[in-house]
Amino acid sequence: MSSLSLEGVTKRFGKVTAAENISFEAKSGRILGLLGPNGAGKTTTIRMIANIFNPDEGVITLDERVVGPWSQAKMGYLPEERGLYKKLKINSQLRYLAALKGVSPEESRRRIKYWMDRLGLNEWGGRKAQELSKGMQQKVQFIAALLADPELIILDEPFSGLDPVNSEVLREIVVELKQAGRTILFASHRMEQVEQLCDDICLIANGRLALSGSLKQIKQQFTRDKLVLEYVGEIPFLDLMEKAGELKFLERNEDGCILHLTDQCNPQMILNRLTSIPNLELYRFELLQPSMNEIFIQTVGEKG
Amino acid sequence: MSRKSLVIIRSEFVRRVTSKMFVLTTLLAPALFMGFMAITIWISVSSIEDSIFSSDQRSHRIAIVDDTGTLGTQIIAEYSGAHTLVQTDLTSAPAEVLAGNLDGYVYLPEGVLSGAADPVLHAIDEHEFQLQIELQDLIDQSLKNNLLSQQKVDPEIRKLLSRSVRLGTEIIASEASADEDPESEEGYFLIAGVLSMIMYIAMIFYGTLIFYGTMEERTTRVVELIVSSVRPFELLLGKILGIGLVGLVQMAVWIMMVIGGLVLVGPVMSLILDPGIVDLFEQANDQELLSAASISLPGISVELFIWFLFYFLGGYLLYGGLFAIVGTMIDSPQESQTLMLPLMMPMIISLVCVSPIMMNPQSSLAVAVSLIPFTSPVPMIVRIAVGEVPLWQLILSAGLLIAAFWGSIWFSARIYRASILMYGKKVSLKRILTFCYSG
Repeated sequence: MSSLSLEGVTKRFGKVTAAENISFEAKSGRILGLLGPNGAGKTTTIRMIANIFNPDEGVITLDERVVGPWSQAKMGYLPEERGLYKKLKINSQLRYLAALKGVSPEESRRRIKYWMDRLGLNEWGGRKAQELSKGMQQKVQFIAALLADPELIILDEPFSGLDPVNSEVLREIVVELKQAGRTILFASHRMEQVEQLCDDICLIANGRLALSGSLKQIKQQFTRDKLVLEYVGEIPFLDLMEKAGELKFLERNEDGCILHLTDQCNPQMILNRLTSIPNLELYRFELLQPSMNEIFIQTVGEKG
Repeated sequence: MSRKSLVIIRSEFVRRVTSKMFVLTTLLAPALFMGFMAITIWISVSSIEDSIFSSDQRSHRIAIVDDTGTLGTQIIAEYSGAHTLVQTDLTSAPAEVLAGNLDGYVYLPEGVLSGAADPVLHAIDEHEFQLQIELQDLIDQSLKNNLLSQQKVDPEIRKLLSRSVRLGTEIIASEASADEDPESEEGYFLIAGVLSMIMYIAMIFYGTLIFYGTMEERTTRVVELIVSSVRPFELLLGKILGIGLVGLVQMAVWIMMVIGGLVLVGPVMSLILDPGIVDLFEQANDQELLSAASISLPGISVELFIWFLFYFLGGYLLYGGLFAIVGTMIDSPQESQTLMLPLMMPMIISLVCVSPIMMNPQSSLAVAVSLIPFTSPVPMIVRIAVGEVPLWQLILSAGLLIAAFWGSIWFSARIYRASILMYGKKVSLKRILTFCYSG
């Protein structure tokens, strides 16, 4: 069981501090979502984990051992800035990339065949990379990240540019790898994917750690301040409360409304008052958890 | 060397050697070269034939108009060449030239004998340069003979006067090299020339390949995937050695093809030339041809050959490393063209130094340029060939060359890592140094 740990990691380029005092842990069998706005220091952090750069301060360990060339062989990386050797045949480049990770020729041949079949690319092994569509190239790059049978898998925007069918295939594989006990680092700007896939979250803003913990914990930290009502009838006091600044209508139609509750507003009190309205048929009263998107915007907005 | 570097060397080598481009250039370049040689041989052969047979084909009819009274008769008497010389007078000569009876006439004014005037060749075609030279020599000789006869100079002295002196050279050598051919100086020039030519040509060919090679990962954006598996140092070392090996294989193939081609030159020439002339070439072996050109090859010892190989490979790889440093800084091969010359400057400087080094192989200039890694390959080989080089200098020079190669890879690797951060940004020296420092 391998786990990745960062403790107080800092990286500076000249006068620019790209990452400052970053600490988090990614456990095996779980997917850690690495989030942050553009230029927040995500890629720098990933590059330090991948041992492309060394941190100026702090320690990065995999299985309690400081990362180095040894850990590169146990790690698969799908970078955001990605490409393939244009003129090289797909099979040759995958074999080359596997050899650089120290995979034996027989083993790499077997794994390439397995993954190429799995991703529907078996016809394309003999073609040059430049003959493949962008989506196919991306699947090849995804395979490249898995060839070393890595314990730690870093996927930076793995779904960008993929059609829904291929996205689903990749998502299934990622979940499978998670169930097989791999540690997965998933960086993305697509919050619905993060919410769907990740067990843990780590949000970096301005080079610093802004949020970290399990998805559930983080969501619990944020108050349920969105109320969904479905009803038939009239609720006059809502308008009065809006005027008093206690709540805000986000949406309103004949079936009901969605409200944003301020700190002065107690949802329990609203429910009590609703039940006392005669002839009101209440079908739904739900306090919504904030979405990852909202948490992201709220947190980054505060820090930024 | 790490296992990963070996994987990279193998991959770089195999994919380049098996590419259509490689096969095409390897096969076509010698074909072009042989075609070029064939044309050169054909031109020189036809000029040989021209000069041999021109006496029959292009004999001129030249008149001598003599105002000295004696020289004209003497010239005609002493002349034994292919042209026809006749005497005529100044009034009829121009008309006869215009009528086509004469190709031209030489006017010898009275002052020629005293040196007060020069003879003049009058001809329609003023470009008969060879004829002019021939007549000039003829008149010159006759004039001298005329003067000697007037002074009643002894024929023995005349013979001595006609002899021209040739200055021979002899090198005073130490005991160790005393048995060497004293006339091998030109041979050393040849060795130095060959070494620097091969290196120069190799760098012009493979420098661009190294530029492309070091740019490849960045332009295709595969770089981040690669450096998450290998250190940039291992990558660049592998690339330079791999591409270098491609270059060596290609050159070896070319050399073999050229040697094969040269073996065929004899039969080819016999198709172009008359049998009489071929005899001349067949009788003369290489050594005789070289000595005809007053070049004698120094005996190349095994030791010299090994050093030659060492300095060729060392220089080749060091320059490969220098090209890689620049290659990692630039974004397109077009930019490389302007950087080619400054990169080759040290090699050109070292070539300029060859002559002074041969004259004085132990001078401080010779020692300095043969120690500095960027210039050392050619001068050091010349010094080893010419005479004794102290062992410490050999070891130091070789060590510095290897260290400089290693250093060039190390430096380009630092830049390489820094360049990952700079997609699409203009690479400035300041940025590079900042990133190199913090990498």
